[in-house]
Amino acid sequence: MEKVYKMPGYDLHLLPTNKFKNITISLKLQNTLDEKTVAKRTLLSFMLTTGTEKYPSTQELSKYLESMYGMKLGANVVTKGKSHIININSICINQEYLPYKEDLIQQQIQLLNDIFFKPNASKMAFDQTMFERKKKELVERLINNQDDKFYYSLEKMFEYMGKGTCLGISSHGNIEDIKKIENEELFSYFKECIKNDQKHIYVVGNVDESIVHVFENCLSFEKNNSIFESVYSFEKNRKDLLEIIEKQDVTQAKLNMGYRISVNYTHQNHYAFVVFNAIFGGMSQSKLFKVVREKNSLCYYISSSYDAFNGVMVITAGIEGKDYHQTVQLIKEQLKEMQDGCFDQDDIDTAKLMIKNSMKKTNDEPLSQVAVQYNRDITGKKETNEQYLEKIENVTYQDIVDVCQNIELDTIFLLKGRNE
Amino acid sequence: MEKIYYQTLKETLFHEKLENGLEVYLLPKIGFEKTYGLFSTRFGSIDTTFVPLGQKEMIKVEDGIAHFLEHKMFDMENGDAADEFAKLGASSNAFTSSSRTAYLFSTTTNENDCVELLLDFVQSLNITDESVEKEKGIICQEIKMYDDDPDWRVYFGAIANLYHKHPVKIDIAGTCETVNNTYKDMLELCYQTFYHPHNMMLFVVGNINPEELIGVIKENQNKKHFLSENVIQRLKIEEPTSVAVKEQINTMQVEMNKLIVSIKINEILDDPQDKIKRELALNLLFDLCFSKSSSLYNEWLEKGYINETFSASFTQERDYAFILMGGDQDDYELLQKTIFNFIDHVQDLEIAEDDFERIKRKTIGNFINSYNSPESIANTFSRYYFEGICSFDLVDYVSKMTLADINEVKRYFSKEYASSYIVKKDK
Repeated sequence: MEKVYKMPGYDLHLLPTNKFKNITISLKLQNTLDEKTVAKRTLLSFMLTTGTEKYPSTQELSKYLESMYGMKLGANVVTKGKSHIININSICINQEYLPYKEDLIQQQIQLLNDIFFKPNASKMAFDQTMFERKKKELVERLINNQDDKFYYSLEKMFEYMGKGTCLGISSHGNIEDIKKIENEELFSYFKECIKNDQKHIYVVGNVDESIVHVFENCLSFEKNNSIFESVYSFEKNRKDLLEIIEKQDVTQAKLNMGYRISVNYTHQNHYAFVVFNAIFGGMSQSKLFKVVREKNSLCYYISSSYDAFNGVMVITAGIEGKDYHQTVQLIKEQLKEMQDGCFDQDDIDTAKLMIKNSMKKTNDEPLSQVAVQYNRDITGKKETNEQYLEKIENVTYQDIVDVCQNIELDTIFLLKGRNE
Repeated sequence: MEKIYYQTLKETLFHEKLENGLEVYLLPKIGFEKTYGLFSTRFGSIDTTFVPLGQKEMIKVEDGIAHFLEHKMFDMENGDAADEFAKLGASSNAFTSSSRTAYLFSTTTNENDCVELLLDFVQSLNITDESVEKEKGIICQEIKMYDDDPDWRVYFGAIANLYHKHPVKIDIAGTCETVNNTYKDMLELCYQTFYHPHNMMLFVVGNINPEELIGVIKENQNKKHFLSENVIQRLKIEEPTSVAVKEQINTMQVEMNKLIVSIKINEILDDPQDKIKRELALNLLFDLCFSKSSSLYNEWLEKGYINETFSASFTQERDYAFILMGGDQDDYELLQKTIFNFIDHVQDLEIAEDDFERIKRKTIGNFINSYNSPESIANTFSRYYFEGICSFDLVDYVSKMTLADINEVKRYFSKEYASSYIVKKDK
């Protein structure tokens, strides 16, 4: 069971368990998702794991992490509806598994403190060499990401669908904005983050309450009562369906369809939608997989996913460009069938079992466990896994039929070959 | 049932070889909700020329057939295996590599039923001409998905360049053409030959009671009849030592040029101990040279020879071995020059004792960490098992490695056996 401690400037969440051979610490910084800051936050996440005053380069820091039996230190950014989150994860072997005892966890926490309060920086700016190197690295990574056509076309779909709203803002910002960031500017933004971002720290592993004192001694932030909005439902901002077709040198066309659904994570119909999505396209027993792939051999992958923080649903599939209209037609028919109630108790039972299975699995993965808990914590949802599963269990046939009446296709983005 | 305790990992592995030849390994993970079962056969994409069970003549089957068979195994007499798993609350999947095919499930309930279902669906083949036809379009889309992935193209191209004859040069799924030429009788022949219990291994890890589960497995197997086992004869590939293609450039729509330099290793080791020692030594060497803590790596990065996409790896399977080094770089000639220069001078590279000890610590930590994931435990076990190595021993092997072991493997770097594959922008 989770225990929460109010610490100076952050909430500390302990998830004690003795089944893992390591200790996972995950620190989360939350602020408003905003086009003006998203690029800075992404670059900042890159900078935070490159060094400290004591280990003032990637090389020095890596040496230190390696000597700690390959301690992992990583950062990434994600969006949660209207919020933007910087995650800093540190994973270290539990000292029980070492030939001799070393106080690894204390050092693990100390390193988090150093990242924020003893950075590799002067009073005004990060180390210039590291700053330039990381900036270049980030730009190159984002350029490279575009070679992944699945990812590229999905990003494009969100960009078109969400133009002018937070749905259209990419979690990592755009390349041109990143190129413009100056070192001093980023450093002063770093100071703002330390002050203003809402902070949560999660610890998963074989720890007891004594760890709270270690945190007390090693890590404190300024008091901060800021609250940021996250979950919402994406609303209609266009009259007609938006259809965008882009051509590139690809052999397989990538189809992406975005839907408005008027449900979200905190909505009472959330649970019905989770079950609906599993039946419709969220698993390999789903309608879309059975009809589009198995029955019509049109694709290798097809699935629908429910973004509960933006309140939208997305379908992705890899198809032949020439099959575009047929595929869209089949997808529309399957949705219509769901809306008409053409599914049975077996479909519902299977979906519920699969949902239960995937929720229970999160208990075996420290970072998944943290992710589930964090969603609840930033939305103020008081719910245990058991309560969640009970609500899933209580979803009825009629609930599912009702919840899919309001699904509306908003945007289609198709990436296809030049010669088609 | 044999019971083996691994002190360093604090794990107890249970093992039994069944009467029909099937090897069973069970690993209980206390406190875990998840159970993961993996049923593997020593049959992969490189097994395309062999003597079918009960016959005398060597035959050649279509490329990609192991993968095709993997797709069709899920067809059961009364439906689809994935659906049956779903009814039990489990998810299922499968994958094919060059030397093996593996079927898996993952569940948090009905563990024993899931193990039985795994055995049952893999130990019977239910295909018709129609069902085989239908799968062709799906597999073709899978192939095309990879065709559009430039990282896969450069990776696979670099391997293919090395070989004149060895079937590892052919894509695991084959081509749309070979897929379209694959028929029911050929799939059945492969199935009968390679899915015999003595060619297979079952690994189950997670929330299980080994004593109870082995009983379930034995009862299940005793009910089934298998043809008597015989040794599978595969064509011994007479692969020339030279590389087939020295350099190849492929144009694609990419944001940055990509290069991989591959090195063919002709020395194929038979002894599993030698094999694992060589693999660990090369991996440690790559870590010493190209991890973020290395001076050489940082020098290359600062001079702009490489970027963070650069990586190096060593692969060895049944009868082939190679090294890959490369990454994204618009000036791929500069990157190529840098790698060639490394190959030429690796013998002179001095490794400090403390760097070596630190990298060993990291490797040990990584191995211990990997024992938190049932999937990773099972997949690693299966990958090494068919090479004759028990993956639970890897941590101890690493602990015993010396600097001399690292210096010994430097001799594998040779420009004579190197090839380059480039994916170039079409702008």
